[in-house]
Amino acid sequence: MPNAPLTLDELIARIKDKDDTVRAAACLRAGEVGAAAVKPLAAVLTAGDVDLEVARSAKRALWRIVRYVGRSDGQKQRGAVLSELLALLKDVWPDALRREVLWMLSEIGDETCVATITSLLVNAELQEDARCALQRIPGPAALNALKEALGRVSDDFRPAVAQALRARGTDAGPKKYPVRKLIPARQTAVLPGGKMKEKR
Amino acid sequence: MPSAPSSITRRRFLKTSAAALALPQFIPAGILAAGRNPGAHGRLILGLIGMGGMGLAHLRAMLERAGQGQVGVAAVCDVDEKRLQAAAQAAGPRTLVFRDYRYVLQRKDVDAVILAAPDHWHGVQFVHAAECGKHIYCEKPACSTIEEGKAMIAAAEKNKTVAQIGSQGRSQPEAYLMHRFLANGGIGKIKRVDCWHYPSPVDDQPVPNGDPPPELDWDLWLGPLRWRPYNPRYLHGTFRWVMDCGGGQICDRGAHLFSCVLGFLDADGAGPVTVEATGTLPTKGLWDTAVTMNVTYTFKNPDWVLTWNQPGKPVPPEERPADAPKIEQPRFGAVYQGDKGTVTQWGGDGGLWVDDKVRNWQPPPDAVEVPKSPGHYEDWFSAVKTGGKTIMNVAAGVGVANLCNLGNLAFLLGRTLRWDQAKQEIIADDEARRLMSRPQRFPYHL
Repeated sequence: MPNAPLTLDELIARIKDKDDTVRAAACLRAGEVGAAAVKPLAAVLTAGDVDLEVARSAKRALWRIVRYVGRSDGQKQRGAVLSELLALLKDVWPDALRREVLWMLSEIGDETCVATITSLLVNAELQEDARCALQRIPGPAALNALKEALGRVSDDFRPAVAQALRARGTDAGPKKYPVRKLIPARQTAVLPGGKMKEKR
Repeated sequence: MPSAPSSITRRRFLKTSAAALALPQFIPAGILAAGRNPGAHGRLILGLIGMGGMGLAHLRAMLERAGQGQVGVAAVCDVDEKRLQAAAQAAGPRTLVFRDYRYVLQRKDVDAVILAAPDHWHGVQFVHAAECGKHIYCEKPACSTIEEGKAMIAAAEKNKTVAQIGSQGRSQPEAYLMHRFLANGGIGKIKRVDCWHYPSPVDDQPVPNGDPPPELDWDLWLGPLRWRPYNPRYLHGTFRWVMDCGGGQICDRGAHLFSCVLGFLDADGAGPVTVEATGTLPTKGLWDTAVTMNVTYTFKNPDWVLTWNQPGKPVPPEERPADAPKIEQPRFGAVYQGDKGTVTQWGGDGGLWVDDKVRNWQPPPDAVEVPKSPGHYEDWFSAVKTGGKTIMNVAAGVGVANLCNLGNLAFLLGRTLRWDQAKQEIIADDEARRLMSRPQRFPYHL
């Protein structure tokens, strides 16, 4: 007989448990708790005194929810989860969590997420992850947001946005935004034969 | 949030890394110069990218061949200065030294490259190398996503690249015997192949994120991966147990075993119609690939089933006569079931051993012949000279990597995937379809 779904309190208690096997088992059942667990798990993950492994379990439980509602018949639950994830993009949350959420949204996000993600294209810490999320979210809303952003983001970030457009099959103007992927940039201090350059 | 970077932000990190830009690149004169055609100077001039375990093994092998006049080693490259230093010492003072692989690709005197950076780099570096006109030996698995595989095949075709993927099991002496035996109906029509392999390790020494060591260019190590803070459990070698950069046993030895299976069954170009996976995840630590895992691939026309079983049911190595090579890696292998019998393969990477009945089988005069590799490197060298096809060409390598990656995707998503081999895409699952590609960090993209 299948287990009854965990309650939210049970899930959070088990995610905080000292026993890693208890936490891991709880992660596997996070999907069925769904949207209600998103913010509490984020709170566990970002608590100042949280144990490293408890934080990892909370993060994995969040991902479990994302994959659970990402299934083809998960559409009903997906909307609520998306709303909760979008709320985690507010700047009251740490950048590391917001970065993780952007990648979650890249997997299951839809046009309702585009405006919030687009607003982060001007955030120096998160813009690259936001760009990647928009590159991956299908549909015209994300594509148009990237096109519009090209004229609005900082000069040094425009080539990355242009690349996202290229990846989506839209040419942003090869002369204005040439492909830079083959330009070498990083130098070594190792010399042929294995000696090191002297520091100046 | 403990998993956040403790003392360094992404922006500050990138600024620090960019400081290296100010230094001039030292390029000594006197390195062999020639065009792409290796026939012009009679030997293939190589650049080696990635100087870890496999990279150093390749370097040793190439230096040995350089001593025999077969190849020249023009450049070595790694993002870890300590590893690079060791490689530079081994290669000698006439070999150029680079941190950034794109310098190697720019060299007109380099005919070909050996790619042995961690797995998440394979697809991008392969495409870049092909676009720069290099022939390529690329470590397995060929790619990390379906999209990378498509791009690799397209780039190789467009640029007439001769590529060998490093699933060297196909080039082992007993691989030829197995292929020939099966091609001649040794066990009849194949219905099922079951692979077994020991489980993945668990990260039992978890540590918090921190600052990368000074010798490591963390940004360049990550390359196309999304940015994340450094953690020593990512590397070296242990990248294999992280889903984003390694993919676990199924992407490591799976890429060897599946290569053997598809090769022996003459099934390059075939793909499954469904992929199902179950397994267990680590309960702690950074590593997130499956500890145990069972994947079932169902093929149609012809109908057969391939399974990956981690750990599965290992077949004990058979007793061998004193004059036969000893089975050194009995801990993984594959059992082939046909309608007329069963045969076993042990190992499948740098060592491969088969049943006595396969080794002792004498082909009749009208037996079907199969390709016999002169050795994985030599097969590649030969194809570069003749423009021929390697035994583990890029299309074959991508087909194998797709099996590995689809197995991981089915496991990650916890549901059966349906696959359209002709279109090279997952059917009727929007999230899974998005995971056929992975946006890559600028400027480390296809």
